[in-house]
Amino acid sequence: MPNMKTIIEARELSKNYGDVQAVNNVDLTVRKGALFGLLGPNGSGKTTMIKMLTGQTLPTGGTATVLGVDAQTDPVGVRRQVGIIPEQEIPPSFLTAQEYLAFVAAVRNIPDIETKAEWWFEFLDFADKKQVLCKDLSRGTRQKLMFTQAFIHEPELALIDEPLINFDPIMQDLVKDYLTDYVKKGNTIFISTHILEVAEEICSEFAILHKGRLLHTGPVAELTARDEHLPSFFLSLIRKGSHV
Amino acid sequence: MFELFACMLKEEWRVHSTMFGNLSFALFPIMIFGIAFMGSFLIPLMQVALPAGNLTLIIHANYLMLGIMVGGFGLLGSEAMNRRFGQASLLASSARSLPLSEQFIFLNFVVKDTVYYFFLWVFPFGFGYILASPFTGVSWASALLLLLTLTLSFLFGLCGVFFLSTIYARSHAALWLVLLTLGVAWAGLATITGTNPVLFFPPLLLNSTFSWVNLLVSCAVLILLFSIAIVLFNPESVGSAKIYKDSFSPLIARFPFMPHPSLTAKDIIDLYRSGSLIGQTIFSFLLPLVIIWFILSLLGPFYPPHGLLFIIAITTGVIASTMYTWITMFDSFGSYACLPVAVSTLITSKLTTFSFLQVLPCVFIAVVALLSGEAAFLIPAVVLAVSVSFYAVAVVVWLCGLSPTVLVYDVKVFFLFLVLVGIVLSVFTGLIFVNPYYALSSVVLAIPSWLLVQKAKRRWDSVDPAGF
Repeated sequence: MPNMKTIIEARELSKNYGDVQAVNNVDLTVRKGALFGLLGPNGSGKTTMIKMLTGQTLPTGGTATVLGVDAQTDPVGVRRQVGIIPEQEIPPSFLTAQEYLAFVAAVRNIPDIETKAEWWFEFLDFADKKQVLCKDLSRGTRQKLMFTQAFIHEPELALIDEPLINFDPIMQDLVKDYLTDYVKKGNTIFISTHILEVAEEICSEFAILHKGRLLHTGPVAELTARDEHLPSFFLSLIRKGSHV
Repeated sequence: MFELFACMLKEEWRVHSTMFGNLSFALFPIMIFGIAFMGSFLIPLMQVALPAGNLTLIIHANYLMLGIMVGGFGLLGSEAMNRRFGQASLLASSARSLPLSEQFIFLNFVVKDTVYYFFLWVFPFGFGYILASPFTGVSWASALLLLLTLTLSFLFGLCGVFFLSTIYARSHAALWLVLLTLGVAWAGLATITGTNPVLFFPPLLLNSTFSWVNLLVSCAVLILLFSIAIVLFNPESVGSAKIYKDSFSPLIARFPFMPHPSLTAKDIIDLYRSGSLIGQTIFSFLLPLVIIWFILSLLGPFYPPHGLLFIIAITTGVIASTMYTWITMFDSFGSYACLPVAVSTLITSKLTTFSFLQVLPCVFIAVVALLSGEAAFLIPAVVLAVSVSFYAVAVVVWLCGLSPTVLVYDVKVFFLFLVLVGIVLSVFTGLIFVNPYYALSSVVLAIPSWLLVQKAKRRWDSVDPAGF
């Protein structure tokens, strides 16, 4: 896809936490319309990558540009344009689900929030919980709420850390369909996951991160053409632990 | 019991030490020791102006207040563990997956807090005083006795708040009944004996005349209060199925003139629905201040005219500045990380909510001024209290950003806070003793306060947002 607009561009992106190198010189390009999956085992640096791309944490080295905005110098600018679902769902404790969406709308200047919120309550089937305090919601319902806040302003790009982890199978199916439809409308989605079957099913491109290093990046179709499956490719690459 | 207790103790240490380094945190009790050791050499000078009994009274009051503050923080009812540890999923909450009762976990939590803060605050102070005693002419026996009675004062504050807060969590009406009973008992004691009931405070009695009976009575009262609190502790969240009507939208409409109405509205809802607005006002503001007021009133003859009101105004200002922790305890920056909000924006909104809360110190000073017949000095006293409060909170914001309750245990932070606030308090204490109306000059504190907040915003925007 050489003519597609670049949505995310990371160059030599690194992050150290003390002596631990969480992300090490990663170069990554995500183009418009991709459903991009960042894959890797636990502790491979996926969450840190998302945090750096959304300006939640400052890189130790390198640069990251998201929708043309420098994530290091203008993190709020990046977060204004994108939708984010963090690794741990953390809506404020003492607001109800409905109030939280009103809060998000006020911060993001989203008009007509009542109608939009109602649509999401129905779509994700948690209208009966909208007046319950966030702290009293189940994990699954909190994930629904966080999913809603990430998409309610219809961002051009959404970054999601483990999108399906707290959902039941019915909800997983619904969300997978929503995500694939969303990119068909010309938007871009960047997910991080270690559920390889889901990545193979919905992603158009993927990258594999291991111990902070990028081992591979390319379209899923390339694997399909070789009659290879993402889980086996992933496992062999991780076991080798080297660049392909 | 011991394994859980030891792990909780280790965890508390690591929570603090990983944030600002083992050494920096370990130096904190050493600094308290140093302050007590060096302060002991000033005792002979102080005793020229202040009789020894009154000095003892002040130190005991400070430790009682310390206990109240430690106990008040995070121990308010059913949200106790949630607030303190909530999303961090530390032992206090994760131990629930073990075959242990909630009371047992909570007992460990309380004993751990008691031991931890004893070694962090109480012991270093007492030890400094003991080590200085050969040089100050104080006998070893009375230095050791002071350590014992200060410990008891601290524990009385801790378990007193603990006791009241668990009653509050069970029934608000019961709390008012207990407070009313205590008030009646206080008034009755004062009427019958003709003495200020503060002087019957068991650790003070013990300090003035040691007896094993007094010691046993003190310990028995402590054990009784602790036991009742443990038994009454109710970890169940009563609000799990509760439906709330939308308060956010009406509230946001009321604050269009605020810099960030949505963030301020959220803070107010947090305070109200968590019970903090009432709970913290009682346990972390009114209770310590009323006790201080009673104790300082005993020292009336040693102040210049009108001095008491202004000393209370300064103290109220310092305690009112801790209201910033009431607002920042509910969330870390992590709660806002998916939104287009900068740390500096949050600081502005938290300070806006803090400004709303400043009505509490104003009302308190007004009540003190009226009850003590000093209404003529109400305005300078209120100006002084509010100026001190804003200045102290500006120092806290600069030093700690959005994590005041955690970073304050960094010895560098605490030392800088003491110096920056201490100098200002000394200057204004001197000024009001010369002329009470000089208190009005404290409005100049608005300038360093504003500068500190601007500096704080730049500082905390340029570093990785703290996840605590």
